[in-house]
Amino acid sequence: MRFPKLALMILAVVLASCTKKSEDTIKVGVYGPFTGGSAPMGVSMRNGVQVAIDEINAAGGVLGKKISMVDRDDEAKNERGGQIMLELLDKEKVVAVLGPINTGVADASTQYANTKKVPLIINVSAGAKVNELFKANPENFVFRIAANDDIQSRVIVNEALKLGFKKPALLCDDTNYGQNGREKMEAVLKEKGVKPVYIGKFKIKDSDMSAQLQEARAAKADVLLVYGIGPELAAVSNSMARLGWKVDMIGSWTLSMSNYITNAGKNGNGTKMPQTFIEASAKSDKQKKFISDYNIKFKESPIASAVSAAQGYDSMYLLKLAIEQAQSLEGSKIRTALEDLAVPYEGITGSYTKPFSSTDHEAVKEANVMLGMVKDGIVVDSTTQKK
Amino acid sequence: MSEIMQILISGIIQGVIYALIAYGYNLTFSTSKTINFSLGNVIMLGGVVGFSLYVDRATGQLLGYPYLFPIVGVLVTGVIAGWMVHRFAVAPALKMKSEYTWVLATLAMGIIFKNAVEQIWSTGDYRFPSPLGDDPIRILGAGVYPQEIMAVIVATVIVFSIELFRRKTIYGKAIQAVSEDKDTASLMGIPQEQVVKVSFMMSACIATIGGLMVAPWTFVSATMGSSLGTKAYVVAIIAGLESGFGLIWGGLILGISEFFTARYISSGYKELPGFIILILVILIKPSGLFGKKSIKKV
Repeated sequence: MRFPKLALMILAVVLASCTKKSEDTIKVGVYGPFTGGSAPMGVSMRNGVQVAIDEINAAGGVLGKKISMVDRDDEAKNERGGQIMLELLDKEKVVAVLGPINTGVADASTQYANTKKVPLIINVSAGAKVNELFKANPENFVFRIAANDDIQSRVIVNEALKLGFKKPALLCDDTNYGQNGREKMEAVLKEKGVKPVYIGKFKIKDSDMSAQLQEARAAKADVLLVYGIGPELAAVSNSMARLGWKVDMIGSWTLSMSNYITNAGKNGNGTKMPQTFIEASAKSDKQKKFISDYNIKFKESPIASAVSAAQGYDSMYLLKLAIEQAQSLEGSKIRTALEDLAVPYEGITGSYTKPFSSTDHEAVKEANVMLGMVKDGIVVDSTTQKK
Repeated sequence: MSEIMQILISGIIQGVIYALIAYGYNLTFSTSKTINFSLGNVIMLGGVVGFSLYVDRATGQLLGYPYLFPIVGVLVTGVIAGWMVHRFAVAPALKMKSEYTWVLATLAMGIIFKNAVEQIWSTGDYRFPSPLGDDPIRILGAGVYPQEIMAVIVATVIVFSIELFRRKTIYGKAIQAVSEDKDTASLMGIPQEQVVKVSFMMSACIATIGGLMVAPWTFVSATMGSSLGTKAYVVAIIAGLESGFGLIWGGLILGISEFFTARYISSGYKELPGFIILILVILIKPSGLFGKKSIKKV
């Protein structure tokens, strides 16, 4: 019988090449939405990680091995998140995972990091549970380098109150992300003794929000606090122009997405949002180099979602430092190293000295967050600019 | 006052667009007794092709061609899309004499259109700048975009001219004859295959023009047509698939009820009244509010 012999030989060659490949590279899983309304965040995040990986590989890699990225598109669908995590962990045998973006996707997939004991650094999702996971998993493998909803809603509400507004209206999308944000903003407002005069929601792909806005205006709202993603937030701004209703709009960091800025056009001017990185006000050499590297590699200026790109880059470097400190590719050892990073890290989104501890897996604190403002097609630092 | 005005105007605009697309369902149903479920994605084709011929995707700037250019482009797209749906999905299904194969076949065509656009074009959301500008006009305190006024006018003109065409011209009467009785029409020398094919092309053209009209406010993306296609289908069922002008009333009922619900009940329940009306109509008057009674002899 010739056939089985041949088949066996092919199989042997395939197997040999497989094992060989996994020996000399370190696989890092990356997942996020690379298509659909959230795509600017997902693609920018992946590109940011790629910039970091290329730098690390050019400098000799980690533990003498090159890093390779295994990326998967979750299409912002919650159920895809879980499937992808299982594929990355069981089939691709990645050392660690970076991502995802959408809160619902994160909630549906983070549990696998803990059950399979592989570290996951969430680099964009603001609503994903991170520190809350300690209760169920004292050995928590989920970390985050992004301003979470607690911080964001605090920054948003504080800004509104600082500007003297007393009757906020909340308008959020009906996804896990939007509703989580609404809950957090309501909690902060309650703490400050302010009651929102209107709470409304809208769906993904809605294009006319005038009904909600009319109700907010009828309730005499003096500021609009929003939580959603680019295209629908742009529809909110455009519907405000339709009604001729002019109040300040402050909202989630996603107001810096390219599809908000271009779709809202001039109606978006003056909108404010919390940011961990503002491309237009990059100061340090490292930030400037990152922007120029990114522009050369992906021919994109300004970056579609600069915050996602910067956080993606930083998450890869934190992982690299942890692997070097652990001197191992074992998940548990990387986790321990992440919780006790000896070297301080100077990143794009800020400098981090011991960003994580064994009880706190949130790297970004309120002090790292700036307030950005949309102005003529780009995001600027609102403290240095007048509206 | 201006508030009610705003709701009415927004509802009417939305309703007329629903009615226009519902006309697309009506056209093919009347000739072939099939419903083209790919129509939602044909709307999207109109938006995408129109956008590609009018706007530079990378920069969002206008390419500088006159607006006539995308109009001709989407009409050609409509003719091709309608031909494809008929040739590859409906005609073979009808030939098989199988009762409902066309349901899946037209759905499949829609998915193919959508996936092709995602692959070839993009999956992002893009802004389609209206040729009439982006500043709203005030009518009794309510804001309306010039594009929306144009969309309503275009939709109304299309609906009226098709009704006139169907009632007054010899070709229209041929369509009418085919819709009444295919076999007898054939015997009378009406090329019924041809009539059905043309009705699919016309219906797809209506949808692509609809896509071009709504693009400035829905944004252009591979998924822009799915919700509009479903809502228009609801309108067609509420009004009656064979009801002609009744479709406009159906569109207005759905459009206005949506905006009143969003404003006075909750924006979360915006779509509820339309579907409740749909179910009530199916229960009480299955031929639709304005439909004629159809008797099917077996």
